[in-house]
Amino acid sequence: MTLAGWIFMSVSWLAILGLFVFCLSRTLRSKDQNNGKPD
Amino acid sequence: MARERWGSKLGIILAVAGSAVGLGNFLRFPAQAARNGGGAFMIPYFVALLLLGIPLMWIEWTIGRFGGGFGHSTAPGMFHTIWEKNKFIKYFGVIGIFGPIVIFIYYIYIESWLLGYSFFAIFGKYNACTTRETMSAFLQGYQGLVQNQYFSSITPAYLFFIVTFALNIIIIYFGISKGIERTCKWTLPVLFIFAIVLAVRVLTLGTPDPAKPENNIVNGLGYLWNPQWSELRNAKVWLAAAGQIFFTLSCGIGMILTYASYLTKQDDVALSGLTASAANEFAEVILGGSIVIPAAFVFFGATEIGKIAAAGTFDLGFVTMPLILQKMAFGNLLGFMWFMLLFIAGITSSISLALPALAFLEDEFNLSKKQASIVLAVTTFIMTQPAVFFLKNGVVDELDFWGGQLCIVVFATIEVILFAWVFGMDRAWTEMHVGSDITIPRIYRFIIKYITPAFLLIILGSWFKQEWVSFLLLRNVPRENIPYIIATRIMLLVFFATLAFFVWLVWKRRAGRIQQ
Repeated sequence: MTLAGWIFMSVSWLAILGLFVFCLSRTLRSKDQNNGKPD
Repeated sequence: MARERWGSKLGIILAVAGSAVGLGNFLRFPAQAARNGGGAFMIPYFVALLLLGIPLMWIEWTIGRFGGGFGHSTAPGMFHTIWEKNKFIKYFGVIGIFGPIVIFIYYIYIESWLLGYSFFAIFGKYNACTTRETMSAFLQGYQGLVQNQYFSSITPAYLFFIVTFALNIIIIYFGISKGIERTCKWTLPVLFIFAIVLAVRVLTLGTPDPAKPENNIVNGLGYLWNPQWSELRNAKVWLAAAGQIFFTLSCGIGMILTYASYLTKQDDVALSGLTASAANEFAEVILGGSIVIPAAFVFFGATEIGKIAAAGTFDLGFVTMPLILQKMAFGNLLGFMWFMLLFIAGITSSISLALPALAFLEDEFNLSKKQASIVLAVTTFIMTQPAVFFLKNGVVDELDFWGGQLCIVVFATIEVILFAWVFGMDRAWTEMHVGSDITIPRIYRFIIKYITPAFLLIILGSWFKQEWVSFLLLRNVPRENIPYIIATRIMLLVFFATLAFFVWLVWKRRAGRIQQ
């Protein structure tokens, strides 16, 4: 695998894992009703 | 009668993720990426995810919850609620029931092969097949395409189909919380565990054949991830990436509308939609990308892998993978895990495909769950028969075109325009944030209003010109298959017309009640 291949794989994996962990942790600690506000 | 509700927030997220995670995550994605520029494919893929997939996910969750507030679980009622002045918009909503059922009637048959192959794997029924030719013959025998030493008739496939069909109907009969939610809560973790075990096994293969040191796992990953920059200038690669995002997220066809309609007004949709998308991407890019193509490279080498990646989804799943897994220790067990994970991915998707039609019968005709389940079961069972018995005549490809390609893009385009332009972006933005656990970045106001519809119109136009015209005109259909294709189209036309008639009838009755 080339260096560019490693970079693409690592960045893609990290981006998806980061999003997944962020979403899951927010979901697990969120209440049933919340107060998110539109901008 | 009180409206059904999800038992928990995690429950609906798992159900939507289950709907999204399907065969495409493990078979279609790696083949598409390998064929369309490797690592470079991920650039248009992520662009499509951010500009098309995630916005559509939020739109469907929001319209679904909004429509559910008015007692509608399906697109005709939801579209009418959004644009009451327009008499015809509810008929466009029919696509949101028609499309999922068209996919359901062939998808469920393919799903049943996975159940069958799970048993074949664990009992070593295909162990004697050690080449691509013999494994293909095994598959063709099972599908009833030929009679050979492995299968003398389609009976085993039909029995597994009956079991799979019954399982689907039973799950949806038990309803949202006790049927779908409970199934997804138990099966999705199993799917992820099986996928992780298989991915770890493949990633630790090293160099299984010392005589061929170049056939190693690092080069296998390289085949998928090394970027071919020149491919980024190819419009087909961008379309392929957008198509993959479309199909993988299961959005743009009406299932998420129905799932989200069982939320309460104060339930979050922004974080839930994003979480379901993230779970799907985890299954697709990280797990799906680490199993089939790297493993095929290690065992078949650089010269064969191109042909394997181009051979299509069925070939990858039912021919290449069993051959590869047989070559590993505990091959039968790994084979069982492979097919069972795909079966779980399949059933959690197929129940979501059947639900809009069931919900339509319940909501708009006031049928009981039992009555609606019987009507759905009888109708879809009859409609599945052509896919089962005329597979070799191209019926499944035809159904896939109408349900899995055309309906999805057309419906998504209508949906996003309706949401951003008719419902209005200010109202839409406020609605998206009711009960929200996150604040959606403001840039998405612009993306949802302008970029996503434009992206969809480009896809619609390009596919129509490049592929759909020749498909619609039967240009590539062998002469002997034309009667079967025309019969399939007549069946679909009658089904669509019946659904449209039902919608007309429901609104006529409703208008009559209001006048009284």
